[in-house]
Amino acid sequence: MIKTIAKPAEKKVVGCGECRSTCQSACKTSCTVGNQSCERVTREQKIEEQK
Amino acid sequence: MRCSPSIVTDMIHVFTYGEHFYVYDTGSGALHECDERTARYLKGENIALSEEELSEIGALKREGLLSAPETSARPLKSSEIKALCLHVSHDCNFRCAYCFADEGAYHAAREVMSLDTAKAAIDFLLRESGKRKVLEVDFFGGEPLMNLGVVKETVYYAKERAAALGKKFLFTTTTNGLLLDDETVKFFNEEMENVVLSLDGRKEVHDAVRKTVNGKGSFDAVIGKIKKFVRSRGDKHYYVRGTFTAKNLDFSKDVLFLADEGFDSISMEPVVTDIPDLAIREEHLPVIEKEYERLCDEYIRREAEGRGFNFFHFNIDLEGGPCLQKKVSACGAGNEYFSVVPNGDIYPCHQFAGEAAWRMGSVFEGKIDPALRAKFAENSLFTRHKCGDCFAKFICSGGCAANNYHYAGDVNEPYPLTCAMMKKRIECGMHALAERRSRENSHKN
Repeated sequence: MIKTIAKPAEKKVVGCGECRSTCQSACKTSCTVGNQSCERVTREQKIEEQK
Repeated sequence: MRCSPSIVTDMIHVFTYGEHFYVYDTGSGALHECDERTARYLKGENIALSEEELSEIGALKREGLLSAPETSARPLKSSEIKALCLHVSHDCNFRCAYCFADEGAYHAAREVMSLDTAKAAIDFLLRESGKRKVLEVDFFGGEPLMNLGVVKETVYYAKERAAALGKKFLFTTTTNGLLLDDETVKFFNEEMENVVLSLDGRKEVHDAVRKTVNGKGSFDAVIGKIKKFVRSRGDKHYYVRGTFTAKNLDFSKDVLFLADEGFDSISMEPVVTDIPDLAIREEHLPVIEKEYERLCDEYIRREAEGRGFNFFHFNIDLEGGPCLQKKVSACGAGNEYFSVVPNGDIYPCHQFAGEAAWRMGSVFEGKIDPALRAKFAENSLFTRHKCGDCFAKFICSGGCAANNYHYAGDVNEPYPLTCAMMKKRIECGMHALAERRSRENSHKN
């Protein structure tokens, strides 16, 4: 048995550079890029929700 | 420096958490849960799987979710500056034993940033930000609230200048909380996108290292102020950010203490120091790994009971996280992110501040050393050759350049102990994600 828990969502735009500088996200020593959200996707989702 | 992305296929990481077996596919970024037989088969053991079991594995491979080839994505190459860390105060009202910043002074005279210097930094960022609309400024120290007037005036100046240029600033402040008063709380809630509050956990743990200038523990002086601030914060971002040392390897108790105190956005970092009785050493690793598991179990239990909290390092966003270009691009220090110290000098990030060899220019000169910047711009996952066969590389992106340099003498040389802790946290985060999905599915059914 093997089942998928999570897989990356397909992105319409990649490499846009809208993401934040990593070290500013929460803590100032050991960052984890993977726990940042994609800023552009998050922003587009918010706009969609507000419609 | 050589920059040669290696395309690796078939990189899967099979790991266990308690009685659970997981497979993380590095190439695709997909996480799967499986039974023990499948886990052992995928690890290369001679296990005879049934046709049905082999068919499941084949289907995932065809979908590109298992043994997927790694990305050939290139790092983001931009000359636009996104963010500045403004060291508005190289002075502090605390004397924390483990402070990487020499108790706020950064190995130089204690001083604060003038408003003219802060404005010059804002002008510099706006000028160098190209077409980028959203910019970030982090007020840092020492203790930035010791220079609150400059923080406020800088925010107002930056907003006014940005509005005229069709740009927007996001501000963050990192503070020990001692000078938080009602007026500052109001200002923070109006202007700060994020506030990072330093608090190490239990009173005895916090007081052992975080002392005021009078040498007294600071817990009682800050806990009430920080709680009051967080209560006022509404849905705006904050982090209560602790540090654990060799003296509190049972740091899960500190994280849970913070959660019990009502904080729901928590980060706890291993100390960066070479002080013998505080430094994390390799022999501590088994205890630390167990401690992350202990924390993860309770984190999951509380989430299931509807009283969960956000622990920064367990919050791995496998679905909506950054694109691959970002994941291979390292942290951006020294190229898209810089620190500015009180006299206006520029450094790659706060952890290099004050080190003469890493001075990259000044906001008054208006330019950055092109050779040093090129060195940092070139940094990526692909210049960190030891990361090549690590399952976690697209999540940590090669780690912290400053930590690498200070521990190993090379920004591209990962420090194994930091890596080991990172990998354990990622596994815990993946297990927590799987448990969350399982709960969501059972509610649906």
